[in-house]
Amino acid sequence: MIEHQPQTTSGIPLKLLYGPEDVPDGIREALSTVPGQAPYLRGAYPRMYRDRAWRIFQLSGYGNPEDMNERLKFLLFEAGETGIIIKHDRMTDDHLYDVDHPEIVERREDVGLTGTVTVGLRDYETILSDLPLESIYAKPGGGVPQSAVYTLPSYWSVAARRGIPLEKLAGTGQSDFFLTYLGCPTKEQIPPEAAIRFNLDLIEWCSERMPRWVPVSVAGYNAADSGLSAHQELGAVMANAVQYLDMIAERGRVDVERLAHRIGGVNFRVSMEVFEDAAKLRAARKMWSDLLGQRYGITSEKARQMRIHVVTAGSAMTYQEPFNNIVRGTLMALFSVLGGTQSLGVSGYDEAMSIPSDHAHLMSIRIQQILQNEINLREVADPLGGSYYIESLTGELEQRGWDFFEQIQSRGGFLAVLDDGFLLECAEENNQRIASGMESGERAVVGVNTHTIDDPIMEVEAFEGRSGAQTWEMAMERLSDLRRTRHRRGAMDALHHLEDVCRNESVNAIPAFMEAVMADASIGEIGDVLRETFGDWQAPISV
Amino acid sequence: MSDHSQPPARVLVAKSSLDGHWRGVAVVSRALREAGFEVILGGMLRPSEIASVAAAEDVDLVGINVGGRVEVVERALDEMESAGVGDIPVFVGGTVPPQAIPRLTGRGVEVFPPGSSLGAIVDSARRLTGRNIPTGGLS
Repeated sequence: MIEHQPQTTSGIPLKLLYGPEDVPDGIREALSTVPGQAPYLRGAYPRMYRDRAWRIFQLSGYGNPEDMNERLKFLLFEAGETGIIIKHDRMTDDHLYDVDHPEIVERREDVGLTGTVTVGLRDYETILSDLPLESIYAKPGGGVPQSAVYTLPSYWSVAARRGIPLEKLAGTGQSDFFLTYLGCPTKEQIPPEAAIRFNLDLIEWCSERMPRWVPVSVAGYNAADSGLSAHQELGAVMANAVQYLDMIAERGRVDVERLAHRIGGVNFRVSMEVFEDAAKLRAARKMWSDLLGQRYGITSEKARQMRIHVVTAGSAMTYQEPFNNIVRGTLMALFSVLGGTQSLGVSGYDEAMSIPSDHAHLMSIRIQQILQNEINLREVADPLGGSYYIESLTGELEQRGWDFFEQIQSRGGFLAVLDDGFLLECAEENNQRIASGMESGERAVVGVNTHTIDDPIMEVEAFEGRSGAQTWEMAMERLSDLRRTRHRRGAMDALHHLEDVCRNESVNAIPAFMEAVMADASIGEIGDVLRETFGDWQAPISV
Repeated sequence: MSDHSQPPARVLVAKSSLDGHWRGVAVVSRALREAGFEVILGGMLRPSEIASVAAAEDVDLVGINVGGRVEVVERALDEMESAGVGDIPVFVGGTVPPQAIPRLTGRGVEVFPPGSSLGAIVDSARRLTGRNIPTGGLS
């Protein structure tokens, strides 16, 4: 009888036992380094979590700005989160639509369900009221590039109005291409070329004025949870970085070495394939360091240091028996830390049915606090280092990751493979395989396709927010109030100026976005300028 | 019984929300195609567009991916009735709040939350259209 060959989700064969011969030479060499030293296989910082615990950094947001503000205060001041993330309503924010846009009106009950809804800068004042912006680390939103140039300037403007110098603000943007052009293509979106321009504007702006701000963050998470396997996620993240760095070099306004560090805050997914994904984080740091050193000749060790944020796989969270997801979240969180992450968000146990309830949020934070306080996890750096199995996986992922990177480069680079559908095809192929595995039972998920019960116990309800379907009506009132009470001429002037700047690539557009939000331009008016100027990108969906 | 002189049943698959997650839609659409259905991908459609496309394409079944509140799906059902295509069967999948499922099943809509088996979804499509039913292992 032929024994079934076990393998990881991404297809790496698994042996019964690993030994010294399974550790590749390159990894063996890197193992002799210490954390905080290139190639960072063993960790980003010399003393790792002894100096600073990883940041508890949970995605949060729903309803109206008051709801958002209340949730943020709960997470930060009561539950003990150590950074804030503002999640915006996907319909209005990702698309930059006003709430009275026809696409929104017919789906009005959905508004506020996937994040908080804003109509303009005044709503950011509400979201951020009573929050000490000078001392908190924030991700104000802006997953997609066209939203980032509205969201980040809005957050910064609230701080500026409070008299806080921008250089004091600490936080991160995202403007992620995997989310925008692979994982969750929106109905209307500016093309990748325009998005790249805004991202470069953000990188330059922050590098000049905001030393504590990560301007953009490549989010491998969105590649992986859309279907790319572990090594494909690695290769695609590196290709994305090369795209930024090459274009920055081409622009010639800011030194590449100076910028490399600024884009070194990268987001990865850790799924239930925990050993492989912990190895992936270790491989990622080494690949990043090698890429910057070998391809760009960057010698500064700091510039070659990747800092990682992990989000545990939303797709691992089951709709059935949602409390089982607390166990899954704990495992994924543990291995994220074993892989050396700098910050972590644990998906809510109700992820498969809604945005997190306050209780689900609290549990995600408690999981992390238990790991930080109760099991000596912070004391020893790189506890997996030297395991034959882990080092074999790390080396294998590195090799396969570079192979995938080369495949992308040979097809014309990162933007080309988003546009021609190659990444989408890779993701789809993997998703079909995973779905078939679920169907046949080869891939077991407890409570879903194995160990199921006939009459499932309803453990929780989906969280639908405080104002429910009224959220939209309340936002409509704020929008009409904004239009009625603002200095109309000032807003129109700022929007015209924004359009001029958008059409002129030699100008950094960020100041014009700041002026537009400060002049009370609405989110939809800013979106109209972008649509008018750049047109719409067509997703190469081939399903 | 499958009748080989009949064209395959046509299924409109659309997203009612403006949330771009496509993974579930892709997997389900592929399974339906492999089972012999003709899948018309509508992408993100408003409730009124779901009704008008269903009518214009003369589909036998409408599949809606739900990424939001159930009210939007109910509006699509209302729009279909107004457009005179209220008799086309509807099934939905996605992140449907468990507490809202009875509202949909009460209107004859079959609901497949995350984790549903593809086999069950395909069986439902066969039952709802009365077509593409395998005979002797062939569809």
